[in-house]
Amino acid sequence: MHEFSLAQGLCAQLHGLARQHRAKKITTVRVDIGRLAGIVVDSFTFGFEVLAAENPLTSEARLAVTLIDPLYRCDNCGATVRAETPPSACSQCASPSLVREGGDELILKQVEME
Amino acid sequence: MCDTCGCPSAGDNTKGFTVDVNQSLLAANTRQAEENRRHFDATGTLAVNLISSPGSGKTTLLEQTIEHLGSELRIGVIEGDIETERDAARIRAKGVPAVQITTGGACHLDARLVHRGLHDLEKEGEGKPFDIVFIENVGNLVCPATFDLGEHERVILLSVPEGSDKPVKYPKSFISADSFLITKTDLIDYFDFSITEARREALRLNPELRIFELSVTTGTGLDAWLDYLRQRAGSLPACPAP
Repeated sequence: MHEFSLAQGLCAQLHGLARQHRAKKITTVRVDIGRLAGIVVDSFTFGFEVLAAENPLTSEARLAVTLIDPLYRCDNCGATVRAETPPSACSQCASPSLVREGGDELILKQVEME
Repeated sequence: MCDTCGCPSAGDNTKGFTVDVNQSLLAANTRQAEENRRHFDATGTLAVNLISSPGSGKTTLLEQTIEHLGSELRIGVIEGDIETERDAARIRAKGVPAVQITTGGACHLDARLVHRGLHDLEKEGEGKPFDIVFIENVGNLVCPATFDLGEHERVILLSVPEGSDKPVKYPKSFISADSFLITKTDLIDYFDFSITEARREALRLNPELRIFELSVTTGTGLDAWLDYLRQRAGSLPACPAP
């Protein structure tokens, strides 16, 4: 249920951005969420919808979430692959030593406003 | 946006425009966490964030840790719970300053709550700097992992009765941790818990994870944990640059 507090933070961020850009309405909010961010996207979206509806600035805003797979880099040959679950070995050289990069991001990418 | 030059300030706003933000949703929490970390650094305090499900033994581990280290290190504890002062009372009974943060329903501590808790803890500790401040997070293996509190060391506990499949099921907590404590190992004969599996899966998620196996009931494995804390607390700069 920490998704709700993150949605609260997002709404506060949107209000700040709208003030800064003198916008009257926010139409689309694009967010990148890593698969390992520990966020349930449905709960986050639900929290955002509930909170956004409370204010005319965000009441018509659409939340677009892009899920990001983590990147796995082979420690041996350097090959990289994006995968939802950790591969057991490198597809190029079969080394089991893979280092994860990212996949836990939680980023407000872009906001469309009027 | 201005129709003439595209600047975001004046003009007719009837047309839509797009702003690239590229900012973490956790930016406000991260800022506060960094401030907390600077504060801990300035007082030469090691900050340890304990995360686990309810009942994994966080408070009992703290009681035993204080029992063994309380005479050589100055320890303070910030307790996070949804309700009640019980855990703080258990810690105070061990003779060290403790403050309770009751989140009133929230499932995790955030950096702002810890900042307030730290001020109260320092008052309770009469302003003398701590060697270690333990922050016992709300019992929950999911939500606390997302929030940096400004700690130096994040410790995840998993007790034998919970099952060795938890690293696979709750990856974020294990990915973000520095140390992993397998607790209640005295119960290993009574539960279907594979230490090999827990270790293997945790290391697959986080190859740098430091793993301890211990039982505070029998004391097995406790020394390695205590030595690690001594070393970690001692390795902080005594008088850091401002």
